[in-house]
Amino acid sequence: MSASQPLLEIKGLNAGYGEIEVLHGIDLQMFEGEFVCIIGANTAGKSTILRAISRLVPHVTGTLRFAGNDLSSRASHDIPTLGIAHVPEGRHVFSDMMVEENLMLGAFTARHAKDLSSRMEGIFELFPRLRERRGQLAGTLSGGEQQMVAVGRALMLQPKLLLLDEPSHGLAPKVVEEMHDAFTKIHSRGTSILLVEQNVGLALDVATRGYVLESGRIALQGTSAELNENPAVRAAYLGI
Amino acid sequence: MKRWIAILAVIAIAAVLPLLLSPTGYWIRVLTFTLLFAAMAQVWNIIGGLANQTSLGHAAFFGIGAYTSTILVLKFGISPWIGMFAGGFLGGVAALIIAVPTMRLQGHYFALATLAFGEVMRVIANVWTSLTGGPVGLSVPFVPPSIAAYSFKQLLPHAYIALIALIIVTVIFEAIRRSAMGYRLRAIKENPAAAEVIGIDTTKVKLQTAVISGVLMAMLGTLYAQVAVFFDPDTVFSAASISIRVALIAILGGVGTAIGPILGALFIIPVEELMNDLFSSGAAGLSQLIFGVILIAVILWRPRGFITVFDSLMARFSSKARS
Repeated sequence: MSASQPLLEIKGLNAGYGEIEVLHGIDLQMFEGEFVCIIGANTAGKSTILRAISRLVPHVTGTLRFAGNDLSSRASHDIPTLGIAHVPEGRHVFSDMMVEENLMLGAFTARHAKDLSSRMEGIFELFPRLRERRGQLAGTLSGGEQQMVAVGRALMLQPKLLLLDEPSHGLAPKVVEEMHDAFTKIHSRGTSILLVEQNVGLALDVATRGYVLESGRIALQGTSAELNENPAVRAAYLGI
Repeated sequence: MKRWIAILAVIAIAAVLPLLLSPTGYWIRVLTFTLLFAAMAQVWNIIGGLANQTSLGHAAFFGIGAYTSTILVLKFGISPWIGMFAGGFLGGVAALIIAVPTMRLQGHYFALATLAFGEVMRVIANVWTSLTGGPVGLSVPFVPPSIAAYSFKQLLPHAYIALIALIIVTVIFEAIRRSAMGYRLRAIKENPAAAEVIGIDTTKVKLQTAVISGVLMAMLGTLYAQVAVFFDPDTVFSAASISIRVALIAILGGVGTAIGPILGALFIIPVEELMNDLFSSGAAGLSQLIFGVILIAVILWRPRGFITVFDSLMARFSSKARS
């Protein structure tokens, strides 16, 4: 793959559920090593972009390419094998399984890899609290810890691209900060990240570039600094 | 180690028990049907317990198995042992056909769709007179007793065959539960959305369990036909006395556990026989009423089945033994 070829390329993406179209002609590009965020109000369709990449949306037209692969011909359970890990909105841990089992299941498509224990070690370094709770049932953890499990489970795949859907939703401010520190670390280890966030201030803080989504269309895009300075963004999302 | 001794002891008791009963008597018949229904509930447990899909149409596969082997004996003189595998194959095909459109359904929707499928099979068997004999039913022809012809003078061998079948399906259930496939099923059961994003082909895994369960259920249909000797569409394709009953046995005993269906059958089948015996003349149908009450009671107080009572008794027993 040449350096000029984007890791993720979305062109003219329309997507929806049943008769309702949520996304109208989305264009989005991401290069390897980038940390990009998608911001916007509730119901703007942010999560649907991630769900379209993971092939979880029934009706999709347009181009979806990842590292030279056409995603639109793939089934959803095939997506992780390409190196895309998705942390769905609302955590979705396997509640009746131990933390360790949850993490191991994250490497399900890479289950024959020999370095699974060192991968898990890396996750415990990132979230030391999970090491303490490795034998505990995931359903008995706090919201923040469950989110750590969900992110850790995705990282077990050692993905090229990590999709994060509203990871700070419903978490205490202190945990949100911890979470975003972890994302910065994950990014610095070389994983590309596409983050969907309602908390615009935090998203622009950690990501290097962003897209602003309004009613299923890209309204604005730019570096985080540019978006931070943009009067429309400041007024609509940052409340300044 | 201790566990294995316990399992072997139970099998040894089960193996000796038929010898203590009169070989032509009533109780050996009850025992045979108890073992057979335990096996059927265990097979149901593969899809109902491990995949969490409450099928109410397992009579479809059961009837296909009973009819296939019996028709093969009647028309071609083929041994029911071979007919059992032919029935298993057709049961698997039927399971695949019904599973493809219904596997995306969950909960009540899946239960109702499978219930309808079982009923459709019953109607087909009733009207396809040239093949099935229609509502008159089929009699398994009498052939000189031999193991190869699956024909015996007494019920004793049938009791042992049912016991062996129960052991085999229980081993299969436990093997699936502990395998990678069992893990996949657990993940799907707990969180279908998360299972899909980590790369589990949820549809494929559910189809696999449906087919395994369908094949085994059809094979048990042959066992039933050989014991019952006579059957008609309304008995083998019955929603109440096959489909719902096997689900009930597994649910009352403890769904998703290997011991649950066995406990359930050990309770339900003999009690049902006793009640039919006691009330047959005066109050037919009273046993169904009582089972309804028991089901409601279990769901209210022991939603995970008799197994929880069994577990707490075992825990008390072992703690006493230690002190």
